[in-house]
Amino acid sequence: MRWLLGLAMALSFEAVAQKAEARLDCIHTGKDFIYDCVIEIMRQGQPVTDLDVRMSADMPSMPMAHQVKPVTARATSTPGEYRAHLDLEMSGEWAVKLRLAGPLRDQLVLHYEFDERGARPVRGSGRPPRK
Amino acid sequence: MAPVVDFLQNSLDGLSAGAAYALLAVGFTLIFGVLRRANLSYGPAIMLGAYAATWLFLQTGAGLLVLFAVAVLATVLAGTYVERLCFAPHRKGAAAAAMVASFAIWMQLEELATLLLPRHLYAFPALYEGGPLTFGPFFVRVESLLILLAAVAVCVAGWKVLYATRFGIAVRAVIDDPRAAELSGIDVGAVSLRIFAVASAIGGATGFLIVASHEQVTPMLGMWSTLKGMLAMMLGGLGSLPGAIAGGLALGLIEAHSQWYFGPQFRDFIAYLLLFVLLAARPPWMNTRSAY
Amino acid sequence: MDEYAIGVLTSVGLLSFVATSAYLLLIAGELSFGQQAFFGVGAYAAGIATAMLGLPLFLGLLIAMVCGAAVAALVGLPALRLRGLYFAMATLAAAEMLRILFELFHWQVEVGGEVVGPDGTQGFRGIRWVFERGVEPLGFLALVWGMLAVVLVVIHLLERTRLGSAVRALGEDPELAGTLGIDVLRLKLAVVAAAGALAALGGALFAHHNTYIEPRNFDIMLGVHTLAYALIGGLGTVVGPLLGVALDLGLLEGTRVFQGYRMIVFGGLVALLLIWRPRGLLDERVVHWLRTRR
Repeated sequence: MRWLLGLAMALSFEAVAQKAEARLDCIHTGKDFIYDCVIEIMRQGQPVTDLDVRMSADMPSMPMAHQVKPVTARATSTPGEYRAHLDLEMSGEWAVKLRLAGPLRDQLVLHYEFDERGARPVRGSGRPPRK
Repeated sequence: MAPVVDFLQNSLDGLSAGAAYALLAVGFTLIFGVLRRANLSYGPAIMLGAYAATWLFLQTGAGLLVLFAVAVLATVLAGTYVERLCFAPHRKGAAAAAMVASFAIWMQLEELATLLLPRHLYAFPALYEGGPLTFGPFFVRVESLLILLAAVAVCVAGWKVLYATRFGIAVRAVIDDPRAAELSGIDVGAVSLRIFAVASAIGGATGFLIVASHEQVTPMLGMWSTLKGMLAMMLGGLGSLPGAIAGGLALGLIEAHSQWYFGPQFRDFIAYLLLFVLLAARPPWMNTRSAY
Repeated sequence: MDEYAIGVLTSVGLLSFVATSAYLLLIAGELSFGQQAFFGVGAYAAGIATAMLGLPLFLGLLIAMVCGAAVAALVGLPALRLRGLYFAMATLAAAEMLRILFELFHWQVEVGGEVVGPDGTQGFRGIRWVFERGVEPLGFLALVWGMLAVVLVVIHLLERTRLGSAVRALGEDPELAGTLGIDVLRLKLAVVAAAGALAALGGALFAHHNTYIEPRNFDIMLGVHTLAYALIGGLGTVVGPLLGVALDLGLLEGTRVFQGYRMIVFGGLVALLLIWRPRGLLDERVVHWLRTRR
């Protein structure tokens, strides 16, 4: 029940926002829309280490329809880099969610277009081309 | 002079796009007129037809005529499936159930199509290899003229069938009053099924014409066809074939001019706004009796 | 409880707000393809309230509900006399118009050194009120379900009053309801507004759960899906929509084996279910049977 107390306390306190930036580099593993992703996390230009990174994804259209299992990204030898396998249901544009905990608390949403090869960042989420 | 030229060119473009919308609206209207329900799977059935043709093209490089036949056949099959599963069982009952069922099958058909062809864009052979026709400062794509021709042909054929065949009499009777038709001995179920097949055939042909004229196929075709078709059908006043054609052409014109003067986002906005205003104002030619 | 289960349950809760919103209109006799727009109105309103105006969450939720009801009433008023497919198309047109307005909506302010606010098609980032206060996923799940429970209880109790009967009478036969002295148009407008407020509340919670919203989140797909959930869950009781949502998301997860075929299976099941039960699993007959068993 601790979380209930935590909720009550949290809802009454102020908090300081901590901003981070992230970049994704994903390659299709060849299996069924599973992608091998390397995440680069930075704050004010500096890589952030020792983070607890949880990654999941949702589709912009029809949110909450595809429940992608959140995965924990493990830190690699490069500072600020984390790695995980993302298991998506299909190709297309996904809003990848990164939940950061530890020295930095933040939640980031990045839009990437996933296809047979990997993921490309989407600049400006607008409507897909209408036919 | 230039603004006049622009206006006329935009009108030509609008009519070209509108011809496709008109054909889509005709299919929706046939089903709505006879069944009094909206078929939310109509667009996806068309998409499946176009995808089947594309798949065949990728496998065998078949010619346009074969692809056309395949598109029509696949759409008719899909349409018949939808009619049997979503509309026949609910004929005497709830309209909401029929429409929600048709939405469920929409999802099903779309997934089937994307399993067949998973990518987001496929090339399709061109309907016409040459360039647009030009006369003076104006130009018209030949493909658009072909689609317009198809719309006219469907209209004429439809009129002939409705007024010169026994099937046509039965259809008109059911459209007028399904219960009276049934009491006169008309098999309403059989009429519904056949109209569904006809509407699907028209839809399949429309889908083929659209993807061949744009030379590409995307997964958006299902939703796009449904939206444009329903919008055009309602703008033209539900339940009449000439209305469907008029609604389609009108939608094309409205979109073309809205886009020119106000930009692409307003193009859709204005079409929806017009529909909403028309529905709210309920002019006499817009048949707004309680109907599904 | 693991994070994945919490995520699924939170999604079920959030979608139930929209599905119940569609349910309210269904029992009043109308199909709405547009509740997703009020979900969006609530999301944007609450996001603006907490992220840009610095208001606390509960005030944001309240503002969202008021905005949802107001916009719904505004849109519902011209369409009030429409019925059946015409009403449905009017809701669709209105919803798409609202979505396009979201795409055109740009308003950004600087908060704590960062630019925050709706940025048209780029969406609205930084709705961090809940996140910044260290609320864990489990806590937020409690919040969502707590509010949903309150809403469902209230609607359930109201359904057993004369108001509830009036709404269902409206749904069954509006002409007859009118002759019984029910102010049909006023009642319909009230249901439209209430449904709008409900969807908006869900949207407000969704915005804070996601910390990011964009116009595409509120397109037709969401609306038609939640309408389907309401109908398949059953129109006999207010927990019907919840059942519908749980079935899809539960089946989705329970049938990971159907990955890639999910909609084929689920879509077919829905169509078959509706043949057997046109008013859903928990339809009026089943609910009546359950109630009279003691």
